[in-house]
Order: sequence, then structure tokens, then C-alpha cells
Amino acid sequence: MERRDFIKISALSGVMATLEGCRSAEKQLIRFIPEEELIPGIATIKPGVCTVCSAGCGLLVRVMQGEAEVVRHGQQGLIKMGLAKKLEGNPQHPVNQGKLCARGQASLQMLYHPDRITHPIKRTGPRGSGEFQAISWDDALKEVSAHLGTLQASGSANSLGFLSRPLSGQQGELMTKFLKAYGAPPPVWYQPFDEAVLRQANLFSFGHAALPTFDLHLADYVICFGADFLGTWNSPVAQSISYGEMRQGRPGRRAKLVQVETRMSQTGANADEWIACRPGMEGVLALGIAHVILAEKLAPQAPGSRPGSLIDGWQAGLPEYAPEAVEKQTGVSVAVIKRLAHELAQSGLAVAMIGGPPLAHTNGLFNALAVNALESLVDKSSILSFTPQTGDAAPVQATLAALHTLSAQPPQMLLLYEANPVFSAPPATRVREALAKIPYIVSFGSFIDETSVQADLILPDHAALESWIDSVAESGSSRAVASLAPPAVLPLHDTRPMPDVLLGLGRQLGGEVAKALPWATYDAMLRAAFVPLRTRPGSIDVKTDDDFWDAAQTQGGWWSSPSTSPPLAAVKRAPLSAASPQFAGAAADFPFYFLPYVSQSFADGSLAHLPWLQELPDVLTSAMWSSWVEINPNTGDRLGIKQGDLVEIASQQGSVRAAAVLSPGIAPDMVAMPVGQGHENFTRFASGRGANPLSILAPLTEQETGSLAWAATRVKLVRAGGPEQAKLVLFAGGMSAFPHEQERR
Amino acid sequence: MAHKWGMVVDLDRCTGCEACVVACHAENNIPTAGEDQAARGRAKHWIRVERYWEGDFPNPRVRFQPVLCQQCDEAPCEPVCPTYASYHTPEGLNSQVYNRCIGTRFCANACPYNVRFFNFYNPAWDKPLQLQLNPDVSVRSVGVMEKCTFCVQRIKAAEIQAEAEKRELKDGEFTTACAQSCPSKALIFGDLNDSASEVARLASSNRGTKLLGELGTKPNVTYLERGTWEDATHG
Repeated sequence: MERRDFIKISALSGVMATLEGCRSAEKQLIRFIPEEELIPGIATIKPGVCTVCSAGCGLLVRVMQGEAEVVRHGQQGLIKMGLAKKLEGNPQHPVNQGKLCARGQASLQMLYHPDRITHPIKRTGPRGSGEFQAISWDDALKEVSAHLGTLQASGSANSLGFLSRPLSGQQGELMTKFLKAYGAPPPVWYQPFDEAVLRQANLFSFGHAALPTFDLHLADYVICFGADFLGTWNSPVAQSISYGEMRQGRPGRRAKLVQVETRMSQTGANADEWIACRPGMEGVLALGIAHVILAEKLAPQAPGSRPGSLIDGWQAGLPEYAPEAVEKQTGVSVAVIKRLAHELAQSGLAVAMIGGPPLAHTNGLFNALAVNALESLVDKSSILSFTPQTGDAAPVQATLAALHTLSAQPPQMLLLYEANPVFSAPPATRVREALAKIPYIVSFGSFIDETSVQADLILPDHAALESWIDSVAESGSSRAVASLAPPAVLPLHDTRPMPDVLLGLGRQLGGEVAKALPWATYDAMLRAAFVPLRTRPGSIDVKTDDDFWDAAQTQGGWWSSPSTSPPLAAVKRAPLSAASPQFAGAAADFPFYFLPYVSQSFADGSLAHLPWLQELPDVLTSAMWSSWVEINPNTGDRLGIKQGDLVEIASQQGSVRAAAVLSPGIAPDMVAMPVGQGHENFTRFASGRGANPLSILAPLTEQETGSLAWAATRVKLVRAGGPEQAKLVLFAGGMSAFPHEQERR
Repeated sequence: MAHKWGMVVDLDRCTGCEACVVACHAENNIPTAGEDQAARGRAKHWIRVERYWEGDFPNPRVRFQPVLCQQCDEAPCEPVCPTYASYHTPEGLNSQVYNRCIGTRFCANACPYNVRFFNFYNPAWDKPLQLQLNPDVSVRSVGVMEKCTFCVQRIKAAEIQAEAEKRELKDGEFTTACAQSCPSKALIFGDLNDSASEVARLASSNRGTKLLGELGTKPNVTYLERGTWEDATHG
């Protein structure tokens, strides 16, 4: 070969190699100039606020430099930017004190989820088909403001609806102000497991329409009726912290936990004594215990307006709740009732709490008032208290009633934010059909789910870690808490924060709406709300409002000094007498009580799209990636159902299929299923997986509040197949059931 | 004195919430196996929460027990490794040297605690989930065994920082990801050679036991037994 040929060949192959390289999309990307200064390899810790549940825990976000594909000004490119690597609890935060639950930890995957909606999209196919095409932000916003303008001009401003997950703090405030100024009804805060019954009961019993706070580290004796307070209920991290202290934080003193329920929850699994009570009869049991305490004068009755006055017969010593009568109704023996009464009264520092299934019966309010009455009889040291609030308490809102209104009179236009009633409301509410009748639906959510797939236009929000976030803690602390965090990372995609989009729409609408929302950006609105907190007692010690605003951002929010609980006083009201729970389905045809329970992994189902949580083994069964139904082993024997078999669970409303898990922690006449799986359309990780127990619920409601009685459905069971069909994936036992290796590589 | 890292698991505080499990995944770049692989027993959890049922309805009892690598002093996984990939560090960790590992899986067979996990595939993350990966921890490739490291990257970072500042490491200055997240403070990590440390104090508790201690593996994880109300009240 000649030297010239060699050079030619080399040049040619060089060019070919370059062209080959250009074919890969990544190498065509433009490199943007970094927008922030970071030192490679050094972590920066930034404050954050957890948005996964309403507890409102404070976060620390570990941010390190990395290289990401992003969109800037409509152009895709590569950029060196700060990336969130890990979420920790914020040690300064009064609610979670540096700790964080599994769901909060996993919420990091929402930021990096492969199925996030990365830019505005507009529906092209029929409703619900999931066919969308990209649309520019300018065009999308023009379209929405035109719709809003037309609706207002035609005099039907009251026909604008806003369906959102509950938002505390200024995001909720912004939505409310927007709708009020526009002339529309207030937003509907949708969540399948609302706490309307308990808030209503606490308003009656204690004068606070709020979830309670428990200082368990003070307690020597805890009796809990159904609340999974270590797992998913109320403020689980705060409650777990004080639970740890009541167990081993005080040398020589260890509290007793008694859990009353029909299916063993994660909390029940930790109890010293677990008591099975007939579903819906928890209030009667509480009054049976109170009867013994009153009759034997084990505890002095405090004067004043006490929660007991809300129970019929309290003044007379609850004559209808003698232990013998209570045993017949609850299935709990006289000896146990008497012993519990003595233990509760003798232990100076006792607390009674209620939550979860006992409230989800048609007589839920009665159960709550009964337990509240017992609580005030045994709790001498305010272990139950209420977290001080910075603003007024929101009125108690039962979700189901709002959905019925939506179905009865579908609005002309619906704004939707991270609420998914098509998945989680009982089918009888006919939400899907109601959505079909709404001419124009705009969603701000980051994911396509069963509800947002019905939208005509989707304007995706930033992820929480990319946004200004604030939240107000309803419970979990003796301080008033307003959490706050600026964006921890720059946005990855062509998304815009929902609050800023609303403010922009307000400006375009002009008139009253623009006047009610004078802020240019959402952080300006937050600043206006936070600065007045500077003068509150125990606040951050700084000289100016600017310094206060900076300090609140650095520390992750504002909190007051610890204060004694606001006084508790019962509302004057006609006393309630015992009501038996009603169930949908006759016992002869549907022999089992059906309990859908809030899942440790997926909460109400809104976290089923996170792979870390899909692969998190359920702590009581070790099941992953699948749905299961818990059945008592004796019931399984009787019906010929073995562990892992496929079972069909049918109610009057429909049926679902799931794998059987035989568990000694459930009554023989009850079956239970975790909520969260069974999504039709919710990202690659959750779609088409398992079954949704909420889809067979009857629309029974709690009599007094109208809240969904989600534990009031009865079902029948039949074996529908073997383990091959059921596909139960367990972590424990995985090695022993190791299959033959077909896929060797 | 050299450090000797250890942990105490207080079974009376553990609630089974599994915050530790997700914290470990996030910190240590543990890949998600997916449903099919998980069904074949290939899901990886360096820390897991086991459950033991006793009794029948209406008196069932459950005991939770978090299980992670016990960082044994006499580790059965170490002598069986033909390539010295399972190796005992001077600070008492059973470390796994990934680039020595040839995937014989002898160590996993020898481990009585079932806390070693084999990479049957190269791990993959659907874009852009890979942006979450912790740059301080290497991603393990196919054919390599992996296990709990006691968050060795955090240990090293803290040691280097202390050395740079010419001071001793303080107890509680850093901790493992699982212990950091644990709401009820059931997991306590620290230096067993520092007699003033919380972990050393708790490890000598009269509630302390070793998991499968009768095998003579000399674990550096101590379990504190659950208390009972009766003991506390009357005993």
C-alpha cells in the first residue's frame, strides 16, 4: 500500500466513524451552558417539602452535579446540572425530625419517572384513547384562557369545576382565590380515604375539626381502634418517632399498645395485645370499657363540657353498655372488657385513638364519638392534642358528596390536578360517565392516569423538587408548622409550575381574577403569606422581612415555639345513641366483610407508578408487584383455597381476581385487599397489574357526614384458578421456590 | 484505636415500616428487578424485614425482624471465595471487591443469613431514572455478587473529612442510610470500639442477642429483643 492510499483510507474511515457517531441521538444534542455553579463530586444539601401525603414532612435533598438531557426554550440538549440523589428527613423539622418513611423516600422517582409528561399535550383521538400530540405552551395557554373567557362572558362562570388532591398552604389558597374571583364554586379536594368523619367527630368532641396529634412518648397505655398509625394513617413518621420513645426511650418504663381491629394492620402487628372486634362495633366496645370505668368509679369524671355528653346515656353511666351486652355485640369477652377498663384506669397516662376502618362504616361518626368519650375519660395529661394552626380550619368536606354533585351536574369546564377518582371512587358514583359529559377538561398532572387520560389538554406541572413548595401540618407537632422550600433542582423537561400557570391565566382573564391574584410569580405569593409569620411568638430571630424570608427558605419553613394545645371543649349537640352498621349485600349471598386497606407501599394507589415501591415487599406478606387477598386459613380450608391460588371476590357491584394469601391475622368472616394495584392506565410500572378493590365497593355512606363507608361492602369468594394464574410474587421464599433456569446466559 | 463498625437493631422499636429498605435502594444504586425476575427470586434487598407469625386467630402474633449483612467476624462467606473477593477489612466489614468477583456464588451458598445477591443481568434503568444514581457508589455489573456494605462510602467520606480536619470521628457524625431514615430509631449504627458510642452501649444491653449466634459467626449486628408490658410493669 502506498503512503497516499493509506492516508486516504485513514481519512475515509475517520469520516465514516464520525458519521456513525452522529447517528446516535445523544451525540447530536447541543451542550448548554450550565445555569448554576456546582463542584463535581461535592454534595449540596437543600431543603424540601414532602408532598406524598398530607403529613407535610420536611426534607433534605442531596444534590450533586450530573449530566442530564433537558429542554430549554423548546430545544433539547445536554447540560451539567444539580441532580437530586437522595431524600432525607430534615432534622430541624418539628414533624418528622430527620426521619422519612418509605413512600417519602421513593417520591424521588417521581422526578425521574420515565413516563412523566414532558411538555404540553392536546388530545387528538377520542376521549380516553390516550392519543395526544405536542402543543406549544403559548398555544396551549391561549386555548385555556379563551375557554375561560368565553365561559365567563356567557355568564356560566359557576360552571367551572376544579378537582384536586388536597392541598394545604398557599397552593390551595391560590386555587380557592382564583375560583372565587372567577365566580366558580370552591375546589373539590378529592381523596378516596378522606378523614371527614374523624374531623367532624373531633369538631363535636373537642371543638377542633382536625386530625389529632399524639404525644405517645408521654403515654403508658395506648388503646387504638383501627388506626394504622405506624403505617399510613395521619402523620405516620411523627407517630413512629414517639412510638419508639414509648417503647424503649424511657429506661424502666415501657408503654402497652392494645390494637382493636378485625384485620391485623402493620400497627396491629406491633401491639402487645391484639383484640378482634366485629366490624363497625368498635364504638360499642369503647363504651363497654367506659361503662366499667364509670360503674366501678375507676376514674373521676371531669366537670365541664366533655365529649361524653355527646353519647346517649353517658350521664346515667351508660346502662345499655354493660359488659355482657357488649360481649354479645362485639365478640370481645366480658373478662377482656373488664381487664382493659382496669388497666386503662390504673395506668395514669393512657390514650384512646380511632382511625381507619371503624370510621368507614355507616355508623362511623358514632364510633368516633364513643372513642373520643373514652379518650377524655382516661387521658389525664393531654396525650391527644391538636397542632396549632396559622390560619382558619377548612370546613369539613366529604369527598363523595362532591363527586355526586359532579355527576349530577357536570360542569362546562373542569380543571384537574392530581386527583384520580376514575380509579378510586366506587363505580356507582359514575365519575367516568360524568367526565365524558364535560365539554372541556384541562389537567395539570405530571402523569397520564385513568382520570387525566380523559383530559382535552394537559399542562404538565413541574415535579415537586423542581417547584416552590409549601405545606401546613395539620397534625404531628405541638408547634404551628408551615413548611417551605424553593426548587431543589432545575427543571428537566418543558413543564411549568401549576401555581404560576394559574397566576398567568388570572392575568390574562383580567378583572376580578387579576385583582385577586396580584402576584407576578408564585414565590411572590408565598413571600406575602410567610412574612407576616415573623412577628408570631417563637419565630426566627431576624431583623428584616427579607432576612426572615431567606431564613425560612434555608431552614425549610417556619414553626412557632411549642405551645400548649388549644383548649378542648365539646360542642353542645343532641347525644347520639348506638347505631348498628349497615352493609351492602345480604349475609346469605355475600358471607364475607370486605376490607380494602390503605397500602403501605402505594397509599391510596397514587404511588403505584414508582418502581421502588412496586418492588418493596409488603411487610406482612412479602408480596411485591402484585395484588392479593388476605383470607383466614380456616376459611381457605373450607372453600378449598390454598396459598397463592387465584380467587374471585364478588360484591353486588362487580368482581375482582387476586392471589390468595392465607393469614392468621384476619377474622374468618372477613377478607381484605390492599389498595393501589389494578390501574388500567398509570405508567409502565403500574398499568395492567393486579386488581383494584375499590372498583367493587358499594356506595354506602356514613350516615351523618356523607363520607364513603369503604368498609361496608360484603363479598363472596370462589377459587378461580391455581398459582400459575394468580402470579403471586413473594420475596420471602423466593429462593426455595427457585425455578429451573431456562434463560441461561 | 481502629474503628469497628457495628449495628444494633432494637426489635422493640422496629415497626416494620420498611423506610430502611427504600433508603438503601436510593443510597446504594440497587436495581429494580421487575416482576418476572422478582418471581424468580432475583429481587435485591440488602436489608429486608422478616416476619414471624405465631398463633391463630383470634390471638395471632407477628414479630418483625430486619435482616441485613451481619458483618461477621468469622464470616462464612469469606474463606469460600476462590478470588478473595469476599474480604475482611481492617475495620471489620465483610466487603465485596466487585472487580475480583468471578460469580461462583459460593459466598451466597455459605451465608446463613441469605443477604448476598447475585447480578443475573446487567442492571438497567429506564431513562431518565439513571439520573438518580448515587455517584459515590459503583453500579454492579452482570456476574457479580453484591451485599450490604454498611454504607462504606459514607464511612470513607466521614473518615477522610475527619482526617483532613485532623480530628477524631465523633459518634453520630454520620450513619448508614437505613439508620438515618428509621423513624422509630430501631437501627443504630456506630463504632463498637468507642465505648462511649450509643451502639456500644446498646450492644451490651441485657436484651441483646445475635442472629444465629450459635453458628459461631460472631456477627457485629446485635438484636435487642422485644420487651413485654408485664416485664416493664412488674419486673
